[in-house]
Amino acid sequence: MKRPTIPVLPRTAHATSRVVALTSLFAVAALSTTGCNGLAGGSSEADDNGPIVLGMDIPMSGSSADIGPYMKNGAQLAIDEINAKGGVLGRKLKLQVEDDACDPKTAVAAASKLVAAGTVVSVGGYCSGATLPTLPVFGKQKIPMIIPAANSNELVAQQLDHVFLINGTGSQQAVAAVKWLTKEGAKKVAVMDDNTSYSKDIADLTSVKLGVGGAPARAGEDSVNPGESDYSPNVTSVLKSNPDYIYWTGYYQEGGLLIRQFRQAGYKGKFLVGDGSVDAKLVEIAGAANGKDVYATMTQTPETTPGAESWIASYKKKFGSQPGPYSTQSYDAVRVAAEAIKKADSTDGDKIITALEGLNGFDIFSGPLKFTDEHTLSNGGFVILGVRNGKFVLQDSLK
Amino acid sequence: MAQLIWNGLFVGSFYALVALGYSMVYGIIKLLNFAHGDLYMLGAFSGFALLGTFGAVPGGSLVALFVVLVLTMLVAGLSGVALERVAYRPLRGAPRLSLLITAVGASFALEYGVRIFAGPNPRVYPVRLDGTAVSVLGAKITVQQLVLMVVAVGLMLTLNALVMRSRQGRAMRAIALDPKASLMMGIDVDAVISRTFFIGSALAGAAGVMAGAYYGKIDFLMGFIIGLKAFTAAVIGGIGNLKGTMLGGLVLGLLESFSTDWFGGEWRDVFAFGFLILFLTVRPTGLLGERVTERV
Repeated sequence: MKRPTIPVLPRTAHATSRVVALTSLFAVAALSTTGCNGLAGGSSEADDNGPIVLGMDIPMSGSSADIGPYMKNGAQLAIDEINAKGGVLGRKLKLQVEDDACDPKTAVAAASKLVAAGTVVSVGGYCSGATLPTLPVFGKQKIPMIIPAANSNELVAQQLDHVFLINGTGSQQAVAAVKWLTKEGAKKVAVMDDNTSYSKDIADLTSVKLGVGGAPARAGEDSVNPGESDYSPNVTSVLKSNPDYIYWTGYYQEGGLLIRQFRQAGYKGKFLVGDGSVDAKLVEIAGAANGKDVYATMTQTPETTPGAESWIASYKKKFGSQPGPYSTQSYDAVRVAAEAIKKADSTDGDKIITALEGLNGFDIFSGPLKFTDEHTLSNGGFVILGVRNGKFVLQDSLK
Repeated sequence: MAQLIWNGLFVGSFYALVALGYSMVYGIIKLLNFAHGDLYMLGAFSGFALLGTFGAVPGGSLVALFVVLVLTMLVAGLSGVALERVAYRPLRGAPRLSLLITAVGASFALEYGVRIFAGPNPRVYPVRLDGTAVSVLGAKITVQQLVLMVVAVGLMLTLNALVMRSRQGRAMRAIALDPKASLMMGIDVDAVISRTFFIGSALAGAAGVMAGAYYGKIDFLMGFIIGLKAFTAAVIGGIGNLKGTMLGGLVLGLLESFSTDWFGGEWRDVFAFGFLILFLTVRPTGLLGERVTERV
């Protein structure tokens, strides 16, 4: 007996449009909740004697969830140190952490919560794609943002007054990458990104610099879609251009899969990965044997910063674990915020922004701080890490 | 060229394996089970947990993997049955929209339920299928890929035989045609629907373990994209039609492979879902689906 086929035309069509309707319904619901939060809050702002709230939008869940706690701990360490010395303007500092899940929609909701909680300065921001939509949320309330980790050029490209980066930008990372690739004597470099703002930014900036002024030739550019398992179509298409170095600018989850799949396809060259891929999980996913010849462009971490031993010791004492990526930058963000509030002698957003612009020589991990006109670091501090025994260690300080 | 075709067929066989569950459930009770991709994820995680427990058992990792594969199919199958019992059966008489919303809710519940136990970070499979590639007609093929494809095709053929040749299969087809009449003819409709969920979920679970062992990385959101892809495969091939669904999986894999090569990686999903729209508008019954004339 032949299996009768079910007439599907109208039903499938309806079902699909229902999904769309359903999704928009969720979106509307999410937006209206956010709005309510914004309206309900605001009362705490008037409280002049309570603690000064520093807000932090970081991923505590989602694909980058393991970074959040490092940043939170780093910030908390600075807050405790400052509070132990009597706080700022005679008031204690308080850290308020919201989860942005590295997702634009969640990030906006989280930022609105922070605004409602009376945040004076925002010291969060890890995923650039999630941080970007929060700029206007904080901007509307004149809340200065000192962004410790997110570093897409798009963050500063809009030239917003209240946005400051204390991490090297994508263009500084691209410069470091090309410097290293040239030093390594690479001949043809393929650049790959994961279609997110952060990753695309570095990939584009790097591609432009390749093949110019003694830099290695550009062997093509490819983007992958995050969240998939099989990247063999991408691998095949990139390998056609015969690169001897591949620069991956996305995050470690896809990076690990890509390295593994490139090796399985017979690729013999080296890999360079961006700072989003610096995680021991990268090598775990790629397979221990594939950790060979993997390098990374990275902003300085506690482990790679000379003279950070005492800082690492106090972090370990407090949290019982090794500090991870971006804990130093988060620590610095809080200290810079406190310094600016002190200099401004006020919690008023505009005054703090003026104070931030006036900072000169304030000591942070990447060196003395002075913001450029773009509100980025005047010295970026990117270094090259290499994989040894499954871990990233300092390879070259690019000085 | 050969490499592109091989890549496409390999990914496609995974899509097809997951898509079959979608197709079967839709064929029988006209429900788009959006939680189906998450059963794939559940399979990957239960395989991970089982391997963690039995990892030390001697006898070679491949044998262990096979035992785990069978056990996982059981776990995923039973989860599918439980899902149907808890979330879908009480709503069987309700409007189809309620069922669809429930399916979306069930999907989230599974994802974030697994997150509670397994954490948000990706996990790495303890047993990895690694192998050196041999060149066949210019395409690099590993023995592991071949084994996975043989297992996938074997599962699909078994399913096809089950549906087309057994009494159970006949009951499933009868319910697809007319559940009320089937009930009156003495078929235990609830039991057959449960069985359908069991088989579809077991196949998704098997695909999950295979993907985990082959790619190495699993995380709690891994079922979402493959769920969408499987749905697309089912629609392209003809949802509700088993052979069409298998074909749809392979076609989708090939489409992705070639579009990536021609236009670049960022076009992969544009192509996949663009074709979904194209099929929905031009040939909603899919490649092998037949247009049924309405009898008045």
